[in-house]
Amino acid sequence: MLLVVTYSRGARTTLRNVCRSHESTVIRRFGRAALLAETELGAFLALRLRAKHDDDVQIERTRPLNEFEAVPESVREAAEAYENRETQSTPYAKFAAGSDHPDPEAMRDADL
Amino acid sequence: MRVTVAGRVHEGRAVDLDGVDATAVVRAVRGAEAPVGVECPTPGTVHDHVGLLPPSSFDRRGALAAAARALGHESAAAAALAEARAELAEASAPTVDLREARRRVAEAGTEAERLRERVAELRGRVQARRETGADTTAVEAQLEEATGRLAEAETERIAAEQALDRAEAAAREARDRRERRLELEDRVANLERRVREELAAAVWERFRSAVEAVPGTATAGASPGEYEGDSVTAALGVARVAPLDAPVVVDGLDRFSGAGPAAEALEAPVIYTR
Repeated sequence: MLLVVTYSRGARTTLRNVCRSHESTVIRRFGRAALLAETELGAFLALRLRAKHDDDVQIERTRPLNEFEAVPESVREAAEAYENRETQSTPYAKFAAGSDHPDPEAMRDADL
Repeated sequence: MRVTVAGRVHEGRAVDLDGVDATAVVRAVRGAEAPVGVECPTPGTVHDHVGLLPPSSFDRRGALAAAARALGHESAAAAALAEARAELAEASAPTVDLREARRRVAEAGTEAERLRERVAELRGRVQARRETGADTTAVEAQLEEATGRLAEAETERIAAEQALDRAEAAAREARDRRERRLELEDRVANLERRVREELAAAVWERFRSAVEAVPGTATAGASPGEYEGDSVTAALGVARVAPLDAPVVVDGLDRFSGAGPAAEALEAPVIYTR
């Protein structure tokens, strides 16, 4: 999918108009951003916005995350375990310390 | 005021003109070049709304706010608005050109891919010639050259990708600034709306009585915004509320029989054209 984010009132207005007249290409709309279908028309609309508003338009290509494919098991398990923690107020760094769960610093530097 | 048309001079608070284009008179009131000469005080911002009656389009809140300002009203939000505007003027966002970096990555990738295919093809040919016992010298030389160029192309591709990564990091920072600017733009717009509403509310009572005093069938309710009627009557009401020094041009509006009655109803100098 194509994620389009706008950074000015003008760009936001154009995005709103584009979304209104091309509903079938718009997968989701969030205020000043939208997800467009990854089709030539989606790309055309996104590029048209950028041609009109330059840097006030950010376009990213996104795809669904399959955590079983892309995310190491240790990270998945840590997320699960942390959400089931006993004390709600424990920060993750403290939770991970002294356990087998990865520490946040290590995860920060490790690309998926 | 003093109006000169084709050598004839008209003076007074109410001037009737026959066969003169109203928009030309409006231009003359603003001091622009026109076939009519109008000597009068400089029109203020209320004239943007009621300088020509009936107006082609009418923004009631904006007109009321302009009238309120002319009457000396100020909005409590005015200071916050000025501050937000100043902050917005300072909030520039740098431009980061990602386009060239993206193009370079795409071109380097295409070239590397082309050379990879070429190397694979030449390897196959060398292999095939060896198997048949044919001379491989010439093809091996081509393979060596292509391998060298592929290595260069890969280096360029990596360099291009790194340059794009750096540019994208810079773009992310620039987008934070743009985001901040957008927040300010929204704040300015909201404050402008609030100022307009406060000013309109400040003269609403006067506007209500003015609407009753001018010809037309509109009614203004107890609170600002409650208005039922046509925009012409609203414009006449605003014209009556506002302190107008420069003349209002009334273009053949049959609610008045001429400049005199119009000037009386609007409590303003009037040039009546027909």
